[in-house]
Amino acid sequence: MPNVFAPSVFFIVFREVLEAVIIVSVLLSFLKQCLGQPDQDQKIYKRLVRQVWFGSLSGVFVCLVIGGAFIGVFYGVGKDIWSKSEDLWEGIFYLIATVIITVMGLALLRVNKMKEKWRLKIAHALVDKAKHHNAKSWLGAWGKRNALFILPFITTMREGVEAVVFVGGVSLGLPATEFPLPVITGLLAGLLIGYLIYRGGNVLSIQLFLIASTSVLYLIAAGMFSKAIWSLQFHTFAQKVGSDVAEQGSGPGSYDITQSVWHVNCCSPQTDHGWDVFYALLGWQNSATYGSVISYNVYWIGIMVAVSCLLYEERTGSLPLKTQTLATLAKVPGLKGWAKKKQAISAEERAGIVRQGQAHLAGGVFHDSDGSLSEDNRQLAK
Amino acid sequence: MAISLSCLPLVAMLLPIFTHLAEAATVTYDFNITWVLANPDGAFVRPTIGINNQWPPPIMRVTKGDTVIVNVENSLGNQTTTLHFHGLYMNGSTHMDGPYHVTQCGIAPGVKFKYNFTVDQPGTYWYHSHAKGQYPDGLRAPLIVDDPDSPFKGMYDEEYVLSVSDWYHDQMATLIPHFINRRNPKGAEPVPNAALLNDTQGLQVPIQAGKTYLFHMVNMGAFAGQYIWFEEHNISIIEVDGIYTEPANAERIYLTAAQRCSFLLTAKNDTNSNFPFVSSMDTTLFDKIPEGLNWNVSGWLLYDQSKPLPDAAIILEDSFQEFDDYTLVPYDKEPLFPDPDQSITLEVVMSNLGDGANYAFFNNISYAPPIVPTLYTVMTAGATAANTQVYGDYTHSFVLGKDEVIEIVVNNNDPGKHPFHLHGHAFQAVWRSDRDAGNFNETALVSVSDFPAAPMRRDTFAVHPNGNIVLRFKADNPGVWLFHCHIEWHVDSGLIATMVEAPLELQRTLSIPQDHYDSCVVDGTPVKGNAAGNIINLLDLTGQNAPPGPLPEGFTTRGAVALGFSILSAFTSIAVISWYGLADI
Repeated sequence: MPNVFAPSVFFIVFREVLEAVIIVSVLLSFLKQCLGQPDQDQKIYKRLVRQVWFGSLSGVFVCLVIGGAFIGVFYGVGKDIWSKSEDLWEGIFYLIATVIITVMGLALLRVNKMKEKWRLKIAHALVDKAKHHNAKSWLGAWGKRNALFILPFITTMREGVEAVVFVGGVSLGLPATEFPLPVITGLLAGLLIGYLIYRGGNVLSIQLFLIASTSVLYLIAAGMFSKAIWSLQFHTFAQKVGSDVAEQGSGPGSYDITQSVWHVNCCSPQTDHGWDVFYALLGWQNSATYGSVISYNVYWIGIMVAVSCLLYEERTGSLPLKTQTLATLAKVPGLKGWAKKKQAISAEERAGIVRQGQAHLAGGVFHDSDGSLSEDNRQLAK
Repeated sequence: MAISLSCLPLVAMLLPIFTHLAEAATVTYDFNITWVLANPDGAFVRPTIGINNQWPPPIMRVTKGDTVIVNVENSLGNQTTTLHFHGLYMNGSTHMDGPYHVTQCGIAPGVKFKYNFTVDQPGTYWYHSHAKGQYPDGLRAPLIVDDPDSPFKGMYDEEYVLSVSDWYHDQMATLIPHFINRRNPKGAEPVPNAALLNDTQGLQVPIQAGKTYLFHMVNMGAFAGQYIWFEEHNISIIEVDGIYTEPANAERIYLTAAQRCSFLLTAKNDTNSNFPFVSSMDTTLFDKIPEGLNWNVSGWLLYDQSKPLPDAAIILEDSFQEFDDYTLVPYDKEPLFPDPDQSITLEVVMSNLGDGANYAFFNNISYAPPIVPTLYTVMTAGATAANTQVYGDYTHSFVLGKDEVIEIVVNNNDPGKHPFHLHGHAFQAVWRSDRDAGNFNETALVSVSDFPAAPMRRDTFAVHPNGNIVLRFKADNPGVWLFHCHIEWHVDSGLIATMVEAPLELQRTLSIPQDHYDSCVVDGTPVKGNAAGNIINLLDLTGQNAPPGPLPEGFTTRGAVALGFSILSAFTSIAVISWYGLADI
């Protein structure tokens, strides 16, 4: 399995596709709510829906092209650079991958939050577009008319490029054969779950699936963190010994006895069949060092602390000590603007922005060819 | 740095004009062991261990039958020393053999020690330090025993002594800790920096047309075997390690560390040109060949001083067809020893111990020197001296009965060539397998009919990589004799066994002089008791010297706890994540 399937790639693609599907579904439900009611003009509604689909699918297509090119060039050109200090590079890549996965993993468990975030963002975008695009410039007019093409196009493309970059970051050490399968399966899984969420299916089983996949993702990430530290320690040892360490296989002399927590002469991920699966999923090493074991446990403790903080935030409204810290920072010259932005927008403000966006949509700002008509509609909507 | 041999003192050359008197003399040497700065390869000045403030140390030259007295004083100041006279049987004088904590205590700085023995064997030998890997620092030189009754007397006009050696720029005190180190887990031996002929380079040997010369050659190196050849001259081997042989014609010979060879070289009849001769280090055992290493050293047979000195031709190591010393026939044609009374099988294994460093083992034992020198244990253990246990678990001792025929089978489980040396004897080299033949008689059945009727004899014999050798000798020389690989790095990492030959006989006949015991007082070495110094319970070895313990195999408590804790934290975290996930519903 490990040579044709990279679990980390699967999870990233799955997550990004899920997010893209959610964006599209949010847009579509906006449209349905504002223009798709049975008593409204179905022709305009259908046209805008088509725009959304075109936009998102083109975005996806463009990303696939960019992604393929990126990975191809990367593997064609970049591979030889790090063959000499392999363990050092492997260690660094694993660290990068761990950070990426850790940061984006938890969002998967709060699909509602994701939906809400995208509602806000899209509403903002709609408001901005209505304000800033004049009918006067040709591009502006075209842009306004096809805003519901451009918006999903840009957002899906951004998500897709994000996915490409993350996949690149996570998979810097992997052979090229491990890409196609997880990308395709991740794509399909993301589409499936996104569709189920849109349809409002069985919330519990979807959530259980998401919990399971997040747990596996974090198991992989913890293993990767441990592997990163192990690779860096092994690199240091190999530098001191010279180039012969690899020839020792998994026997005596292939590891640093002063750093060893356990060493078994079997079950090496590098040489024994089956154990490389354990290595890929859990970071198993037949020769563990203090660094690799401690880092594994530190990672888990870190995750537990982070999750607890997030739960606290949900219960009490903000992260522990966040309000106090931001209040202090707001007094620091230079950080004032940043701190103010971070201080929570209240729920009313959020609802207000969403309403504005919906109004712009309903008011036909984005589908009239006649600029003057849209002006009138805007006045009406106010 | 070129030296002409004719500049050496006349002591080194023996001309037949001076007939030697047949009566045995006593030859006395006063050796004050000192540090001397030297630069033999012209590339690096380094401290070396010399004698009487001179380096190279003097060549010892005696006649068969002489009594030799060597008064050693250690003026090194910072190192202990001993002297071993390699190849001399020390019949009745095993306490003069020299290995540290085997037949004597070390000679500590400031201590005086007297070696007194009779030499009753002709041939080419050498003497060197036998303490803690010291001799590659320079304390080694040839020892020639002349024979007025030599069967080859009159077949040569002049004699030369020619030593070859590898040479290191660093001192052993620096190299050994880097060698036995967890950062050297494969046990890669340090690579020499140069090769030397007569402790110099660019040697010129004056040759007169038409004459025949007897060369005494010694490989005094620490590690490297040497291929030696004289361009456009063949040589005729007449003696190896003190054993005369039927003359054997050779184009190129191979000497492992510690081996010697005497051969006749007949000069050409004209003086038209000078001819180079080359000694090339065997680089197959070198871990890595560093940039710029010249593993050859050449000299010249100088026919005519006015003629140019040509460069030696480069020959690829693959095409070396060196003479196989196994095929030599001893001059006295001593017949093969019949069925041995005792057969000892030793397997050469290189492995790592608990400190992560690489050690050498015979079977499963890596040598560690005893607290009480083994010979002193023999002398003070009474009847228990016949029980190998009294010599400790790590001296790898075998008790041999007087006049027994002993067979040693060495199975080399290492991809390196090893030269094995037995003190106190020249053994019959009964069998040597090809490389990769595995253990003796395990795959190819070798029987007595495959053994030569009159096997070649010497005291240092090489075993091929992953091959085997069979050696036989008669235990007619009571004493404590080491059997070890003569690659000094492997001596340091424990490839040694001890032959305790006729211990009860030794108790009756041997008398050790007081200055030997006095030398032990200086560094507090006990002289009575078993290998641990226990005089009361001779079989109780608590406190004996031991090599580091074995590497932990599999899961220790520490490992199991770590793994368990890691699994626990993973499960707990997944529970927390699930809780977070379910909180959304």
